[in-house]
Order: sequence, then structure tokens, then C-alpha cells
Amino acid sequence: MSEKKSILEKISEGQVWKSIFRGGGVPTTRRQRMMVVLNSVFLHLHPVRLPKHAVKLKFTWCMGGLSFFLFLILTISGILLMFYYRPTIEYAYTDIIDLTEQVPFGIMREIHRWGAHAMVIAVWLHMFRVFMTGSYKPPREFNWSVGVILLVLTLLLSFTGYLLPWDQLAIWAIAVGSNMAGATPFLGSEGPGASLLAIGDVNFITKASDARFGLIGGRFLGEATLLRFYVLHCIGLPFIIMIFMAVHFWRIRKDGGISTPV
Amino acid sequence: MEGFKSLINYISNPTILFTAILVGFPFVFPPNDWFYNVNKKLKIDKLWTKKGLFVMVAVTIVFFVFGLGDSDFRSIVLKPDNVPISGLIILLIFFTWLSMSQAYENDKLMDEGKPVDEYYEAPNDKVLVWPDLVYVELISLVLFSAFMLIWSIGLPAPIEQPANPSESPNPAKAPWYFLGLQEMLVYYDPWYAGVVLPSLIIVGLMAIPYIDRDPNGSGFYSYKNRKLSASIYLFGWLVLWNVLIVIGTFLRGPNWGFFGPFEYWDSHRLEALTNVNLSELFYVKWLAMGLPSNILLREAPGLIIMFIILGVLPVLLAKTLLKKFYDELGYSRYAIFVSLMILGVLLPVKMYLRWFFNLKYVISMPEYFFNF
Amino acid sequence: MSEEVKTKIRIRPPAALGKVQEEISAPRRSIISWIAVGWLAFVAAAGGFFTMILRFFFPNVLFEPVQTFRAGFPDDYTIGEVDLRWKEKFGVWMVRNDDGIYALSTVCTHLGCTPNWQPSGQKFKCPCHGSGFRITGIHFEGPAPRPLERYKITLADNGEIIVDKTQKYQEEKGQWNDPEAFLKV
Ligand code: HEM
Ligand code: FES
Repeated sequence: MSEKKSILEKISEGQVWKSIFRGGGVPTTRRQRMMVVLNSVFLHLHPVRLPKHAVKLKFTWCMGGLSFFLFLILTISGILLMFYYRPTIEYAYTDIIDLTEQVPFGIMREIHRWGAHAMVIAVWLHMFRVFMTGSYKPPREFNWSVGVILLVLTLLLSFTGYLLPWDQLAIWAIAVGSNMAGATPFLGSEGPGASLLAIGDVNFITKASDARFGLIGGRFLGEATLLRFYVLHCIGLPFIIMIFMAVHFWRIRKDGGISTPV
Repeated sequence: MEGFKSLINYISNPTILFTAILVGFPFVFPPNDWFYNVNKKLKIDKLWTKKGLFVMVAVTIVFFVFGLGDSDFRSIVLKPDNVPISGLIILLIFFTWLSMSQAYENDKLMDEGKPVDEYYEAPNDKVLVWPDLVYVELISLVLFSAFMLIWSIGLPAPIEQPANPSESPNPAKAPWYFLGLQEMLVYYDPWYAGVVLPSLIIVGLMAIPYIDRDPNGSGFYSYKNRKLSASIYLFGWLVLWNVLIVIGTFLRGPNWGFFGPFEYWDSHRLEALTNVNLSELFYVKWLAMGLPSNILLREAPGLIIMFIILGVLPVLLAKTLLKKFYDELGYSRYAIFVSLMILGVLLPVKMYLRWFFNLKYVISMPEYFFNF
Repeated sequence: MSEEVKTKIRIRPPAALGKVQEEISAPRRSIISWIAVGWLAFVAAAGGFFTMILRFFFPNVLFEPVQTFRAGFPDDYTIGEVDLRWKEKFGVWMVRNDDGIYALSTVCTHLGCTPNWQPSGQKFKCPCHGSGFRITGIHFEGPAPRPLERYKITLADNGEIIVDKTQKYQEEKGQWNDPEAFLKV
């Protein structure tokens, strides 16, 4: 065997490569290609083989994948933003300004903001395509419901992030949004039915104990609100959405992979 | 030119725009056989050919390009946060076309007794994930990253004045993806438009697979065999969600008034609109007497109407028009389905009542924060 | 493996319980009820934890700005005008009419935006969804479900006006007739 080997081939057969990518070698045979997918924790999200329409853009529009990719972009750019942003009324606004003006490659904020817009659109379009291909039908009913939860979480992530720059755009959007929580039936101090929960003269659902208060941490938008939204935006909601994404991906595989005509 | 602009301003008036969309919708996305045949006869399905796509996209782009010559239009459309919505309009046209064209294509194939486009023969027609899928993914990922980079460099993210709790901007808008809901806030009280309605949307979406249980038509684009469910979904998604977002973004100006796309956002434009409650209409205007002081009596007209709509109507429908559904779905599924449908229909109904009769509330009990 | 061994394995309780039961006897009543009690306790404890987490979001002490302020003397205000001087700092409009003074909240009863006083139309107009309020605070257009709220307004011993925002008066509940909702001058 005196064939000349390319550098890539040489490396890929060395010990280091083999130890990292189990098996090693450039996958050329059918068996090797199947093993590549099975051997990698990341690729293993995929099945080994797919029906041919499933890899066509015109079928999936790649929107689910794009939603996930955008989630990753947002996670990375978001973590970078956290290095500079302080969630207090005193600093939040100026930190955002500094971030764009004083930090090299200051487009992280743009990437994060436009990425968030794009993710909302991508998730909507993904849902649209799942509907149009009838992929919510049995056995995928539950995964559709998980998808709806993912959609809600995506919107909540966007909404909580909207407050963080603490500018006019931010607080008024959140003022309006959080006041709606105050109108929750029974649980909001300005919601229908709240007064029914009173015992005699003692009101249990007041401005200082209702759903709105729980959301914004006070009777008015303020320091506590910013902190609550910050924690939800950076830790709470991403944590929850990751759990649901894991279920979503798992169920795609378990429900028989991408839907196909029977 | 000016004439054209004022024409556009005129037909952007929600009464006209929304009515046109409402009337046109069932012909474009037919919910039953009758509309479907009309759709075919009038050749509306030509929209889903390549030529149709070209025309739709061209018209939209020409409209935008033409519009950008107008300073009022420019100032709204080029606001950084509004740019994604212009993008959304084009994307919606494209993807609606993409799904509908494949659906009609498959419908034709099925009529001819041929297998649909997505049909494959297991296991021969399977492809390997490596390399077939991974490469598609890699390429989309790279292209999309490039797109994100260009977008982010080209369009700075907006930042306005620092927060000032005593000065609401005029108009003050929710983030764009909630503008459909904000539009509903004009017609319904916050407890309904802001809390109950979103919950119903979530529940309704989750209920879809448990109500539309026809196992056929899964895994490929099709329309003919699922006209009703597709039409309902498309109506909710395209009209009640996205059209309202576009209206909320581009046509809602100062003091939350309506402004045509080529109209100057004049914050001093005065609009006298005095809204009345059903109880006032009933007792004061029609019966020419004072409002009764007993709350229940006062609101009796509204309460009775709502009881009929939500309590009696579903039963009547189950016996008549929707008998087929009732038999198919069984009691509880039918109840959920009909309630969601009725509440959905009430949204445009209330809009019209407001536009034509200045009706504010059907039931108005501010004493208990209960207005509907 | 013989038939006998198989069944034994099948009926074996979880190893964690430590004891391998050789034979199953029909479960006795007392055991069932203990299990029920156990589950009940578990559910109660879990419920307790969730209540704790929920309660965690409602602190006992709030660090919020003072809600009572001195608003100068009655003569500082012109009859028939809406006074904007406390709007920024305390969120209050002072309005004086022929009979006296009232303190209107600047929070729109729809969703809490701050309306603008439009002298030309003699109304408070909310920019968010277009609610309009008359100078009295009564709503007449747009989606606001009820009139603006009024705050408690009294005179101090030295004749200065004191506005107390912790006490509010709602028209639809008939509270505007309360003597402290309106300062007679
Ligand atoms: C954060 C948001 C989401 C992510 C990251 C995500 C990701 C994905 C991915 C990667 C797929 C594989 C197929 C494809 O790309 O189309 C998929 C399939 C699917 N998704 Fe999602 N998704 C999200 C939200 C949703 C929503 C909102 C729905 C519907 C309400 C949904 C319902 C489904 C269903 C039913 C499938 C199976 C489709 C089939 O088998 O053809 N997902 N999702
Ligand atoms: S907040 Fe004032 S009208 Fe909506």
C-alpha cells in the first residue's frame, strides 16, 4: 500500500483524531457515514437515514433548525452582552450606550436584537409549515403542544429582553404589558372577580399582592422590575426553554422522525 | 400620483381594508366545496403558480419602492424596529405561496391517482444524514450567519430617550409581535384582550391536533382534503394575527388613531368619538328611559345576548348546521371547538360593532371590573 | 430458569426496601391506607414548597418612593386650569374649579400610560390606545373602562395642601363624594 495519502487522511488516521472522533478516517463508506452520526453526541440528534424529501428545503423550509440555530446565536451573544450590562436603573441605559460606542465590534447588541426578531419569525414560520404539512396529526399531537409551549417561551424571552435597555420604548411596552397582568381574572387587583375573593372588608388581591406585583416586584415599575426581568431573561426562561427543546427534539425522533406520507 | 396616494390612504381605512380581506379570504383559501369550486372557476388558484408568485412579490416590492418616495411612508417603514415587519410581509407571501403551490400540486397528483411529491419508497428512497443533511445544514447555517452579520452591521439597533415614567411616547406601542393583541385592546378590556384571549390562543393552538383528528394528510402539503381546518388556521394566522400586526405597526399613529400609509402623523388631529354601552343604547336610546339602578337589570340585555351566543347557540348548531361535527367529535371536543370558534368570530364582530355603532361594551360592570 | 423462580423475581418489591418478600399475600387494608397517607403527605409537602416559592416573590417591605407630599397653597392654583407641576415627580394633576381642588392620578385606567392634557380639546388624551378623559377625570372615548382615580387631598394646619396617594377614590364606586376626595376652597 504505497498510495500517497493526503494530509487530511494522515491526520484523520492518527491517534489523536481517532480518540476524539471515535473510529477515525474520512467517512467514505456507507457504514462509516452511519457511524459518524451515531458516534457524535451532537449529530446523534439526527437519525442515521432520512426520507429524501426531509432534506429538501422546500419541505421543511429549514425553519425548525433555524429557530434552534438562532437560539444558539442568541445564547452566545447574550452571554457576551452580560459582561457589560448591569441591571440597575442607574446603569442599564448608559451601559447599553457604552456597549455600542466604546466596545470594539460593538454589533453584539444588534446581533442579539435582530436575532431575537428573526427567531420569533422563524418559530412562527416553522409552526406554519408544520401545520401546512399536517405534521401535527397522530402520533405527533403531543410534540405540537410542546411546540406551542416553545412558541410562548420564545415570545416571553423576547418580551422580557425588551425592558432591559430601560429606554422609553422599553418601559412603556412593559408598562402596558404588565398592567395587563393586573387585569387577570381573580388574580389581578383590577381584574374581574378579584373583589369576590375578599373576606368582609379585607381584600386579599390588592396592588401589593396580585399577579402584576409578582411580575414586576412592586406596585410601580422600578428597580425590582428590572432585576426580575433580567433574571427571567438571562436564566429562568432560557433554562425552561432548553428543557422543552430537549423534549421536542427527543419526541421528533420517537414519533418516527420527520413526518412522511403514509 | 397624489390621487393614487389618497386612494391608498382611503382604502387603508380599517373598515374598508378589513372588509375587503374578510370577503376575499374564503375565495382565496376556500373553506368548503362551494368556495373551492369558485376558486377554481375564477382561476384564483393561479396565484399559486410561479407567475402568481412573481406578480405578488413584484406588486409588493413596487409598492414599497414607490412608497419610499413619500416622506411620511418612509418615516414609518424605515424605523429600525419596523424593518423586520416589512421583511415579514415578503416572507409571508413567499411561504404562503410555497406551501399552497405544493399543496395544489399534490392535490392534482392525487386527483390523477398518482403518489404525492413527498411519497417515497422505504427503505430504498432513504438518504444518509451524513453527508446529505449535514451539508444542507452547514450551508444554511453559514449563509444565515452571513445574513445576520450584514443585517447587524447595516441597521443599528434602536435606543430611545432614557425611561421617563411621566411621559408616554405618542403613540406607545408594544413590541411588534404583540401588536395584533394590542389592536384587540382597543375593542376589548385588558382582562379579556390581554389575559384571556392569549390563553385561549395557546389552548386553541394546542387543541388543534385533538380536534382535527383526520389521520390523512399528514407529512405532505395538501389542501383539498383539509379545506376547513386549513382555512380556519390560515384565517387566524394570516388575518387575525399578521394583518393586525401590520395594521398596528404601519397604520396606527398618534393617540392610537388610524393613519393611511401616506398620511402625516398629526398628533393634534382631533377625533370625536364617544362610545356607548349596549345598556345605554337599549334603555336610554330605544326605550327612552333612565338606566335601571340594579346592576343585573341594567346589564340584562348584554347578559342575555351573551348567554344566547355562548349557551344556546352551540346547542342549536349541534342540532342543525354543525350536526356532522357534533356526531364526529363527541360532546367535549365539540364544546371546545364551538366555543373557540364563536369567541374567534366575536373578535371581528366587535370591531364592526365599534366602527358602525360606537358600541363600547356589551356587558359593562365597571364596579366589578367586568366589561365585555 | 424454572417457572417458580421467574414469578418470584416478578413479584419482588424494590430492592431499596431491603426486604425480599418471598410470597405475596393479598395486600392488607392497613397497608393501603398508609400508602394513601404517604402520598397525601407527599402532595401536601410538594404543594407547600410551591407555595413557598410563590410567596417568595412577594416581599414584606417595599422600597418605594414616598406617597404623600405637600402641594403648596390653594391660591397657587388657577381656577379652570389643569396644573402640571406635580406630574413628573408624583404623577398627579391638580385641578381647580369654582368649588375647589382635586388631585387626579396620571395613570390611565386602561393600561397605565400617562395621558397628555390637551388644552385645545379640554381633555386628557392617552397616547397608548387613545382613551380620552374630561377635565373631571370622567372617561368618554377610547378603551378606558372607568374614570381616572382621585387621591386624598386635605389641608395641613398651616393651610398647605397635602396629597396622599395611598388613599384613592373611584368614581364608579361613588367615592368621589367623599369629603377627602375634594378640597373645598
Ligand atoms: C423554539 C422553538 C422551536 C424549535 C427550536 C423547533 C425545532 C424543531 C426542529 C429542528 C424540527 C425538525 C423539523 C424541521 O426543522 O421542521 C421540529 C419539528 C417539529 N416541530 Fe418544532 N421547533 C420549535 C417550535 C415549534 C412550534 C412553535 C411548533 C408548533 C406549534 C412545533 C412543532 C413541531 C412539530 C409537530 C414537529 C415535527 C414535524 C414533522 O415531523 O414533520 N415546533 N422542530
Ligand atoms: S393605556 Fe391609556 S388608553 Fe391604553
